[in-house]
Amino acid sequence: MIKFLKRLFTDPELQKKKVFLRSLELFNDLSSRDLGFLVRSLHTRTYKEGEAIFEEGDIGRAMFILETGRVELGMREQSGKTRKIFTLEPGDFFGEMAMLERLPRSASARAVERAHIHLLYRANLEEILHYHPRIGVSIMTHLAQLMSMRLRHANKLSLLHQPPTYG
Amino acid sequence: MAKHPEPRSFPFLTLLVVTGLSAYAVFHLRAVLAPFFLSVALAYLLNPIINWMESQGLRREAAVVLFYIVVAGSLTIAAQQVLPSIKEEFTDLKASLPVYLDHGQDTLMRTHAKVLHWLPMDPTTAKGYTEKIYEPLIEQIQNIPSYLLGLFPFLSLFFLIPFITFFLLLDWHNILSGFIQLCPGRYVEQVLYIIAEVETSLGNYLRGAMIVVAAVGTASYVGLKLLGVKYSIAIAALSGVSSFIPYMGAIVGAAVGCVAAWVQSGSILAGLKVVLLFTVIRLADEAFVQPVVSKHAVKLHPLVYLLSLMVGGELFGFVGLVFAVPTACILKALLKVGWEWYTTEGYLAAPPVDGESSPYT
Repeated sequence: MIKFLKRLFTDPELQKKKVFLRSLELFNDLSSRDLGFLVRSLHTRTYKEGEAIFEEGDIGRAMFILETGRVELGMREQSGKTRKIFTLEPGDFFGEMAMLERLPRSASARAVERAHIHLLYRANLEEILHYHPRIGVSIMTHLAQLMSMRLRHANKLSLLHQPPTYG
Repeated sequence: MAKHPEPRSFPFLTLLVVTGLSAYAVFHLRAVLAPFFLSVALAYLLNPIINWMESQGLRREAAVVLFYIVVAGSLTIAAQQVLPSIKEEFTDLKASLPVYLDHGQDTLMRTHAKVLHWLPMDPTTAKGYTEKIYEPLIEQIQNIPSYLLGLFPFLSLFFLIPFITFFLLLDWHNILSGFIQLCPGRYVEQVLYIIAEVETSLGNYLRGAMIVVAAVGTASYVGLKLLGVKYSIAIAALSGVSSFIPYMGAIVGAAVGCVAAWVQSGSILAGLKVVLLFTVIRLADEAFVQPVVSKHAVKLHPLVYLLSLMVGGELFGFVGLVFAVPTACILKALLKVGWEWYTTEGYLAAPPVDGESSPYT
């Protein structure tokens, strides 16, 4: 009886989405209740194979979380051709810079196979920060840690490629 | 990376044609579409509650049904308290309306005779001028019963709107997801941006309007009851609902309440007290309610308010008056987004950051 009522009143899709989101490092600090609020703030879209998600130079307004499928990130070269720089797998997220700044995208993203993607729009994150600051702060902290890690990596790379100085 | 075909440019012309045809269809079907627009507004207001219930783990269908059961139960309990008073007012109004109408007509005739006596001109010429003013007024008084009967079709909206709202609430996410899925992938972010801007301006306006309606309606009822004016529920409801149109709540309440009090007591002083009451309500609304309501609302210039009301009234009548300001909010949000795209898209550069040159530690 309880099982029947539970099946009647609870949303299995919500549970599935919560499990998926909890598996991501970005949201693994959030409680089940927090994840419930977060799921309601996400927009979901399925991209066809080859469909553009965004182009280099577009103004970024959302962050993308890849649930299924694969996405390629590419950058335009001087010749006009697009060079592949990374392939994203399920569970990866991209376009997160749009959460922090309102600047043109630094790369293009395209689905290389049918991809199910969750979008966290900046205005939704701002709403979360306003009404559920605990959730918002947790997400922002993870994003800041990610940026810090990338900056350290970039510093290391730039030091490696610096010409040696003598004397 | 495999070479893909270049993305097509945004189909502005198609969008323009579709928008134009939609506007034309809406104009011609305005009477039929009004309950749907009102239901969309109601569903929009209620959606955060359903979303909250859903985020607690409830299935959306269960959340909507549960919400309707709770609201229906609360309304039934409230109706048991209020219905006898409404019935009493209605029975009393039905019995006294002919007397009030006669009284109103008599008062107008008497003032007409007095005005004729005071005017420093030939009585026949003066009568010609004053009759032009008084005759339409007397005609309007005679039409009041048919106006009241004309309100009855609106009562059907009380059943139709919750019915449509129920289905809109059930499918709110599916409608939005379907729309996002239809948009070309590259423009999803931009479409979400438009939706967010419209949601912010429209949502704040609608929530604000609901607060104003409730505040003005309650204050009018309490004030009229204290002044001993009969039919306080009907007048307060009329004043509250009219508050959807900016500045109209107090004007309608003062006009109807003043006439009612004057006719009931036979003294103009009672009518003036009602006018004073609605002046105080209007000032209190401006001083205490509006600062809270308009804190996050879209700022519309008073002239834009006026222009949108005039255009809405001219094109769609009463329905146009109700939807004029929300439509102006939507148009302002769309213009803002359009202007931002026009000025920034593709032209933004990273701003210089203080300390950019210092190494990251």
